[in-house]
This record gives sequence, structure tokens and C-alpha cells, in this order.
Amino acid sequence: MTDIQATPTAVTPSRPGGLMGRLNIGTGVLGGLILMGIFWLIAYATLSHGPGDTDSFGSDRVICVTMVGWLLGFMIGIGAFNGPVRWLLGKDLATEEHQFLAGKDQGIGRYFRYTTDHKVVGIQYLVLTMTLFFVGGSLAMMIRTDLITPGSHLFGLQTYNAVVGLHGIIMIIATIIMVTGPFGNFIMPIMIGARDMAFPRLNALSLWLIVPAVPVLLSAAFMGGIPTGWTAYAPLSNEAPPGMDAYLMTIITFAISVALSGMNITVTAITMRARGLSVVRLPIFVWGVVTASLLGLVAFPLFMTAQILEGLDRTAGTVFYVAQNGGSVWLYQNLFWLMGHPEVYVILIPGFCAVLELAPVFARKPLFSYRTAVVGIAGIVGLSGLVWAHHMYITGWAPDLGGPFMLTTEMISVPTGLLILVLVGTIWRGNVWTRLPMMAGYAMIWNFIIGGVTGIYLSDIPVDQALNGSLFVTAHFHYTLMGGAFVGGIAGLSYWFPKMTGRMLNEKWGAIGFWTSQAGFQVTFMSLFAIGLAGEPRRVGDFPLTFAAGNTVATIGAYVIMTGMLIYLGTLVWSWKYGEAAPPNPWGAKTLEWQTPTPVPLENFEVLPVVTSDFYGYGEPEPALDPEPVGVPAQPAMAAAVPVPDTVPESVPADAVTSAPVTSAAVAAGETAVPPQVAATGEQEPGEDPAGAGTAKEEEQ
Amino acid sequence: MTQTTEAPPAAPQPKQRSQTRQVVLMWVVLTILLELFALFVPAHLMGAPASNDMIDIENSMTVFSVTAAPVAALVWAIAIYSLLRWRHRGSGPPDSAGAPIRTNVKVVAVWTAVSSLLCLFLFIWGEVELSAEQSSAAASNGTVIDVTGQQWAWTFSYPGAGGFTSDVLYLPVNKPVTFRVTSEDVVHSFWVVQLGTKIDANPGETTTASVTPDKLGTYAVRCAELCGIYHAYMEAKVHVVSASDFRAWLKSNKAQG
Ligand code: HEM
Ligand SMILES: [Cu+2]
Ligand SMILES: [Cu+2]
Repeated sequence: MTDIQATPTAVTPSRPGGLMGRLNIGTGVLGGLILMGIFWLIAYATLSHGPGDTDSFGSDRVICVTMVGWLLGFMIGIGAFNGPVRWLLGKDLATEEHQFLAGKDQGIGRYFRYTTDHKVVGIQYLVLTMTLFFVGGSLAMMIRTDLITPGSHLFGLQTYNAVVGLHGIIMIIATIIMVTGPFGNFIMPIMIGARDMAFPRLNALSLWLIVPAVPVLLSAAFMGGIPTGWTAYAPLSNEAPPGMDAYLMTIITFAISVALSGMNITVTAITMRARGLSVVRLPIFVWGVVTASLLGLVAFPLFMTAQILEGLDRTAGTVFYVAQNGGSVWLYQNLFWLMGHPEVYVILIPGFCAVLELAPVFARKPLFSYRTAVVGIAGIVGLSGLVWAHHMYITGWAPDLGGPFMLTTEMISVPTGLLILVLVGTIWRGNVWTRLPMMAGYAMIWNFIIGGVTGIYLSDIPVDQALNGSLFVTAHFHYTLMGGAFVGGIAGLSYWFPKMTGRMLNEKWGAIGFWTSQAGFQVTFMSLFAIGLAGEPRRVGDFPLTFAAGNTVATIGAYVIMTGMLIYLGTLVWSWKYGEAAPPNPWGAKTLEWQTPTPVPLENFEVLPVVTSDFYGYGEPEPALDPEPVGVPAQPAMAAAVPVPDTVPESVPADAVTSAPVTSAAVAAGETAVPPQVAATGEQEPGEDPAGAGTAKEEEQ
Repeated sequence: MTQTTEAPPAAPQPKQRSQTRQVVLMWVVLTILLELFALFVPAHLMGAPASNDMIDIENSMTVFSVTAAPVAALVWAIAIYSLLRWRHRGSGPPDSAGAPIRTNVKVVAVWTAVSSLLCLFLFIWGEVELSAEQSSAAASNGTVIDVTGQQWAWTFSYPGAGGFTSDVLYLPVNKPVTFRVTSEDVVHSFWVVQLGTKIDANPGETTTASVTPDKLGTYAVRCAELCGIYHAYMEAKVHVVSASDFRAWLKSNKAQG
């Protein structure tokens, strides 16, 4: 209402966005440092008892308050609160300002700002994820190097424990955001035919909350690390050094981010789908991202609660987890695993669904039994909240519940098996195009079967008695998290890379890097299975001679993984800069994101698409077009555009089938039709590509 | 799951059948190989069992491996076969689509039924083992030993023999023992590897675990829960000895204490 008056005055043509135009990550850091200093001074003066004080809570208080200062200052400095403040003042944003916030015409600078465009946020998430994996991977190499032979201490045991904890939590955070962050943000809205997310500013907020949390987490390395493992069990965490404060501040911040992005993604998928995109036509990847986000939204507040209580124990003298004073160590463990088990599916489902999404494209077949896939996902999500205590079989908590938890845990293998059936059924009698995304999918099947079968052993209480807390568990969750979810993420990255960056990923070097790391992965974690079965506990910085051979082999494998991952990363960076320019739809896929030009224009679609069938009709006769909808000229009918005679045999000529949506996409974008061979050959230069060319200038700087 | 679209019925039928035969053949071969692995490798890696519980655990490992092998083999067989036979050759995108199979109700139904049955079997097996373990624990009125974990050592005390403490564990062979486990500081986990016994040592709580060692020898107690800087070295020795040696050891300790 008031915006009518505010609009004309708020806009100066030279600098749309006003104050916003001057804010970026640099001002964020500046703001963070300033407020951090202020908060430190205040906290030091009031909360600590001065130098030499014996109250151990004092220093933790000061550190926590200082970190809050940094986080808050950073968010203020980058402009996270501008929107709400202006809204409170009754000044809404003008269109120009909205466009400025979305990063219109701002070139590379928009990646360093509080930009609301979901595609920018997606790329930011991608870079953030890769950075986290790089740091976490380096820490993994430190772990394995330290363990190469018994008694070989590169660094002390204290540092060893600190590194294990840091590696664990960094990798967990990275894998949680690895698919929903980059692809859930960049790809998913386009997939459902939306112009942006439902809450673009919340979207930017969820990303920028993690950015200042990363230095907080890494600061733990200089404050005694996280010597409790990533699970941070109390009361060990009560006696841990200030690195623990960094851990819990990070978790609290991260939990807010996960909840916000979970809400945003869910609302987007529910309310912003294109016309005709009914729930049963949704690409399976959307199902994966949304259910995982919802699950995160439910689970992470519990993690936050657990850490807030822990923070109070550390700074305020409460005794939530101090058994001697009436607290309970099992309270922490329950809160933690109530988050912790859903969380593994928050990690797994999107990666798995990325592979389910690309398998039909590369097998040139419909997704096998779409409904089974949906039932599988729903079953996993439903059961995942009921299994947490399988992590507590041997803690002594509620022995009578062992049976029920064993049942729910083993029941999860049924819906999980359904997802495997869908994947295998999709490959069955396909015409499998063995490019890197698909091959990563194959690697995922291999690893995930191993991770799943070893999970069955662990779900059995008597067997878990022997295996819990051993390196067998470490190997099991690396097979599921790294071999399954992470490899699914790599499949997704290799698949969507051309759309997100406008370049093809170099196939040869990408594959060399990927397969090298996979070979090393098998060696490393098979050895960990072996020495875990033989009785080596996890999280040990030294071990008896009996486990020497297995550890040495595992370390050699780790160096192979490192070599492969570095090659893959190098290929990624090189291809991003110098790779062959990507045509709009190099894989000949049918989902909507591939029907937009590359690079994707700011508004994604010039004319919003109307969906008339699902996106998996490979090799099927195309259904007839819907009658022309009213109002919009040449309304495209996505995924079912070119009518093909009913009598088409199994081998339809490629351009009739695979390129059909491209044609309609070009119509959607208001361009002249793209020659069908664009999709079929995948080798077109973008300069010659009429659909991409017009928008390319607008987007790139 | 209603819109079963079968492949065009024209030419491919015989070819299809022979392909299915080849997949089945591959499945059988892979299953045999995996079964051999399942029968001999996992239990072997766990080392020689020294208690009835550990025997049960290793048997369960083998049973689960044997059960899982055909499932893994089926998935891998199809995956490998598809790379050999259903692979699109050439550098460009495939010029034809695969069989446009939307679903196959029979396959989904069989898969769901079989996996549910396997799951049920796992559960029943686990429950049976578990209740066997529990009933033998309940029936046992054997030696009681108090186990206390602290950073970073184990202390064992024998309340039935005057309550002296020791930092090595002596157990009589073929006699049930019950451990009452607690901790003085953080969470530890009391693990006797070759006996298949593991239970957390929690501050402020006492947990129990029972076992009947059935093989003479010297074994290891390890800590299975990260408990601080020397967690890796929080070990102790277990001697499983004959009944007479056990009595002699108790007596010598009582004399000292
Ligand atoms: C996506 C990739 C990865 C994920 C998600 C991941 C996750 C984790 C987690 C959660 C932990 C547990 C930390 C703790 O006990 O608190 C861990 C431990 C460990 N990771 Fe990773 N990790 C990944 C990659 C790697 C790689 C590439 C290596 C080897 C080069 C590796 C080696 C280890 C080792 C040796 C441990 C310590 C095991 C122990 O003593 O418990 N990880 N990892
Ligand atoms: Cu779990
Ligand atoms: Cu320990």
C-alpha cells in the first residue's frame, strides 16, 4: 500500500538497488569483523571473570558471544536484513530493485552478493559444496596418512581426534547440501516450470547463513578442534576445548539454513508448478528433493535443540547431560539420532533421485514404474523417523525396544529395495548411452548394494554387538554416503554441468578421474571392512600390529582416491572455463530444464510452459497435442510436442523423438525453432544456436 | 502401476527371451561366486569365536550374507549385462530408444513380496537369537564382575570374591559371567572382541551384559566409544582359564587384597 509512494523515490537510475548495490561478501566480512570485535569487548568485560579466572564457563561464554557477533555482523554487512527492515519501514522494493537483487545485468559480481536468483544461488551452493569437499577431503588424507603404520604419529593423538571430528562434520554438511543446494536450487524450479523459488530472499538467506558458518567451523581447528567425533556425545563434549563451541554454533546456524531451505523448496514445488504439471507427472528428482527437504525441516530443529542444550551446559552451568547431577547422556544421544537417522536419508534420497532422473535419459527408456519410485521414497521418509535407536542398541538405553527398532530398521530395506528395482528396471533392455553421468549411476548401484547389505548386519542386534563402534561401521557409512549419495551427486553434477555452466564437462578426463577415485575407494573401504570385522575400533589414532596390513592398504587406496578426485576436480574447473560450449540439450532429455536456452535467461521461460504428459516418454508414440489453450499464442506442449504416427516401431528415428521437446522449448522462449539436430548431435556451437545466442549476452556480464 | 505398456510384440520376442536367459545365467554364476564368498569370508575375518554368543554372531553374519548374495547378484548381473549387451555404441547419442516399458506389475509385486519376506526372515532370525541370548543371560547365576571405565583404563572388581579390583580380567571357561558396567567420567564402551560382548559404560548408570566364554585363551578388551585423547590405548587383557586356575587366581588376589 505504501509502496506506491515509495517506488518513485527509492530508485536512482545510476545505481539501482541503492544501498544494496554497495553490499557484497566484502562488506559482509567487514561487518562481521566489526561486530565480532564489539561483541568480544562487551563479552570480555562482562561475562568472563578476567584473566586468570578459574571458572571454566567464562571463556566459552566469550567465545560463543563473539561468534554470534561475527555471524550477525556478516549477515548485516551483506544486506540480509535490508529487506525486512525496509518492509518494516513501509518501503517495499521497486521492480528495478527486485531485478537488481536477482542479479540482472551484473555479471560475475552477482555471485558475491545477496542475490536472489535461484540460478545464482545454485551456483553459489555448488562452489561452496566443492570447497567443503576439498577441505574435508584434505582432512581425510590427514587421517589416513597418520594411520599408515602402527605408531606412526604425524601429529599427536589430540590432533588426530580433532581432525576426525572436523572431517566428519564437514563432510556431513557438504553431503547434506550437495544435491539440494546446487541442483535443488538451480534445476528444480526450472524443472517444474517456475520462474524462481517461492521465497527468493529466504533462498539467499539459507545460502548466506552457511557461508559465515564455515569460518566458524574451521576456527575449531585453532581452538582444540572437535575431539569428540562428529556426533559430539556428551559428556565428552562438556570437557572439550572451545573448538566445541565452534561446532555447536555452526550446527545451530546450519540447522536454521536447512529448515529455511527445506520450507522454501517444499513451498516452491507445491505452489509453483507449471500448468498441467500434476503431482504424478513431477520428475522423480523433484520428489527426491522435496521429500528430503521436508525431512530435513523436521529433523534439524532437533539437532539444534541438542546443541543449544549442550551450549548451555558448557556456558551456563546447566546439567542437561551431566549424569552426576541428574542429567542424562541418553537424552543427548536420543536427540542426536532423532536427527541423525533421518539425516542420512536427507543425504541419500536426492543423490539417488538424481540418478533415477538421468537413468531414463541415458537408457532412452521411461522410468520403470514411477509409482513404485514414489512409494519407495515415501516409505523411506515415513520409516526414517522410527529407527533412530538402532544407533543405541548397545548403549543400554531401553533394551526392551530393541526388537521394535530392529523391525523398523529392517523394514526400511523394502522401500529402499523398491528404488533399486526402479533403477534396474529402467536399465533393463535400454539403449544405454554410457556417458559419465550414467556410469556414475552404475558405480552408485555397485556401492549402494554393498552399503545396504552391510547395513543389514548392523540392524541385527546380536551382530551389532560385535560391529558397533568398529571400523566396519566406518566402512558401511562411507559406502552409503560416499559410494552412494556422493557418487549420485557426481552423477547429477556431470549431468547438469552443461546447463549450469554452459560448457560440456570433458568426458575423457572426467571419467579418468572418476574411475580412479572409485578404484581407490573400493580398496580403502574394503580394507576397513576387513579390519573392522577383525576388531579394530573406529576413531582410534593408533592400533595394534594385527591391523597393520589393512591400514596400510587403506591408506594406499586413499591416495588413489585423492589422485582421482583431484583429476575430476581439475577437469571440472578446466571445463567450466575452457570446455566445449554446450548446446541447450546435449543429452536429448525431456525434462523442462533442458528445453530452456543455455545460459538460462533470468526469468527462465519467456512463456510459461504447459505440460501435457510426463517427461519419460522415451521410445513411445507422442500423445496428441492438447487443444490450443486460450490467450497465449503457440502455447508449447512440453514433453509431447511432435505428433508421431501411432504405428511407429520401436526404433523411431532419433530426431523425431529426442529433439521434439527442443523444438517446443524454442517456441516457449519465443524464438524460432531450433534445428532438430541440436539435440541429436550434441556438438553444436552455441554461437550457431539461435535459442542460446539471444540470451547469452544478457546473462554473461 | 496400471498402464502396463508391453514392448511392441513384433520381432523382438525370441531375442528378448534369449537375453533374459543370458541374464539369468549370469545371475546364477554371480550368485554362486558370492555365496562362496558369503560362506567363507565374513565369519573368517571375524576370527575364531571364544563364546557361544560370538558363534551365534558369526553364524548370523554368514546367514545374512548367504541371504543377501542372490539379491546383490541379481542387481549386479543386470547392471553388468546391460553394459555388455544393451550398450549404445558410438560416440553420439543413441539413435533409437530402448524398450518403452512403463512398468510391470508382476515384477513389482514379486520383488516387493520377496523383499518383504526376506525382511521378515531377518527380523525373526534376529529375534530368536536375541531371546536365546537374553534367556541364557537370565538363567545364568554365574560370576558377577563389576566393570568400571574411566579415562583411560578399565577396572574389574569381583564382588563375589571379596570385591578386590584388578586391571586384567580373568574368566572361568564354560561358566556364565555377568558384567555390570559403569563409567566414572564420559561414555566408554566395554568390548571383548572375541567374546562378542559389547555394552556402553555410562556415567551414572549401570548396564549389564552376560556371556559364557567357551575357549581357553587370552583375548582383548577394547573401548568402542571415543572417550578422549587415549581412547586408542584403553585396552585390557582377558584370560579365559580353567575353573581351577580361576579359583587359584581369585585366591591369590584375595590374599593380596
Ligand atoms: C563424501 C565423502 C565422505 C563422507 C560423507 C565422509 C564422512 C565421514 C564421517 C561422518 C566420519 C565420521 C567421523 C566421526 O567418527 O566422527 C568419517 C570418518 C572417516 N573418514 Fe570419511 N567421509 C568421506 C570421505 C572420506 C574419504 C575420501 C576418506 C579416505 C581418504 C575418508 C576417510 C575417513 C576416515 C579414515 C575416517 C575415520 C574413521 C574412524 O576412525 O572412525 N572419508 N567420514
Ligand atoms: Cu541410522
Ligand atoms: Cu574410549
